[in-house]
Amino acid sequence: MSRISLRLRVNSDRYDALVEPHWTLLQVLRGPLGLTGTKENCLEAECGVCTVLLDGRAVNSCILLAALCEDRDILTVEGLGRPGKLHPLQQAFIDHGAAQCGYCTPGMLLTAKSYLDEHKGVVPDPDAVREAIAGTLCRCTGYQKIVEAIRAAAAALKEEP
Amino acid sequence: MGFQLHRPDSVGAAIALARELGPEARYLAGGTDLIIQINRKRCAPGPLIALDRIAGLSGVAAGDGVIAIEAMTTLKTIERHPAFAGPLGALAEAARVVGGHQIRNVATIGGNIVNASPAADLVPVLLALDAEVELAGPAGARRLPLGHFLRGPGVTAREPGEVLLRVAFARSPAQTATAFIKAGRRRAMEISLVCIAAFLALDGEDRCLEARIALGAVGPTAWRATRAEELLRGGEASMAAFRAAGAAAAADCAPIDDVRASVEYRRRLVAALVPRALQHCRQRIAGGR
Repeated sequence: MSRISLRLRVNSDRYDALVEPHWTLLQVLRGPLGLTGTKENCLEAECGVCTVLLDGRAVNSCILLAALCEDRDILTVEGLGRPGKLHPLQQAFIDHGAAQCGYCTPGMLLTAKSYLDEHKGVVPDPDAVREAIAGTLCRCTGYQKIVEAIRAAAAALKEEP
Repeated sequence: MGFQLHRPDSVGAAIALARELGPEARYLAGGTDLIIQINRKRCAPGPLIALDRIAGLSGVAAGDGVIAIEAMTTLKTIERHPAFAGPLGALAEAARVVGGHQIRNVATIGGNIVNASPAADLVPVLLALDAEVELAGPAGARRLPLGHFLRGPGVTAREPGEVLLRVAFARSPAQTATAFIKAGRRRAMEISLVCIAAFLALDGEDRCLEARIALGAVGPTAWRATRAEELLRGGEASMAAFRAAGAAAAADCAPIDDVRASVEYRRRLVAALVPRALQHCRQRIAGGR
């Protein structure tokens, strides 16, 4: 099977990659692009750890063909914050101990970001947060600390000018 | 694995490609089922014809008498659309319980229909709305009732090369309401054990002018419980009548035993949830008066 040349925009950086037409966005991110912050697990869109944002919306990168993502805006955890200037969600996850093994954390952060971006200026109640992250599984925390962190981040973002 | 991927920019080009590539080719909408099946190697990865670049295949057109939903409209769009906030609210209720946000941002109503899962959540709502599907293919365009389009688990009346364009149904008049109830072990990321959609139209004296009940996951396709509907038509909209309709639907359904639930449990769910869905409709009509 012949490879196709693909132009991707990830975290505002441009990448050119030669990919197989059947490769998923997850394969391309972790393989040729070397962006291994996005995690691989179920490969069936059940667990959500591979969540990235596509044009601002949370998607499961494990079942999305990379070739369909050309010229769209992709955000992975590498583009969320940087050392010394963490995103409020990242800071809140640290402050609340919302990461244990950490494997779901990149997907959880982006799932939460997509929700908070859609509901700017609102601090969601715990039930709303639980509904928002229903597609992303954590097997360590029991979710309580994650819910608290996301609400704290919403409050922090509300205060930002 | 490995396959060719095509991205035509018109329906005509898509159909021409399907003709040229032959029966191995598959149309690709959101891919939330097809890509998983390919990853599991359960379906041969023939050439894929992605429909994502075709302009006009996505969106909701709410006209005077008819509402049309284009095939590539995502479930998230349906969940949030103002056309589905009132009497047609069951569509948003059904869209909202499919997968998680990540799935609903990608999955399409066309895929939910064409995939023909007996447990597809939007399909019972569309059946209860008497929806029609519109297809285009090598032999031209045609419309047919959704109930005729669905033939069995994973089987539809779609001819080779035909692509689903849209699904359409009549706008609901006053004094009507819809409701959708899904039974599962958790609220998200769950395949329905049973899903139920109801459409109810009442006159000013609480009599049923029209009742339509559709059920998912309790038969080879989603289906209309016509005997239950007939019991209701012209009669009083009472809880006793709703229970009788539930009993009729439970007697007529044909569920399977599987890892998720037994036949007996599914029948009990139908008997309990059909009256509840009808009651939701009645309360919504009363609330809108």
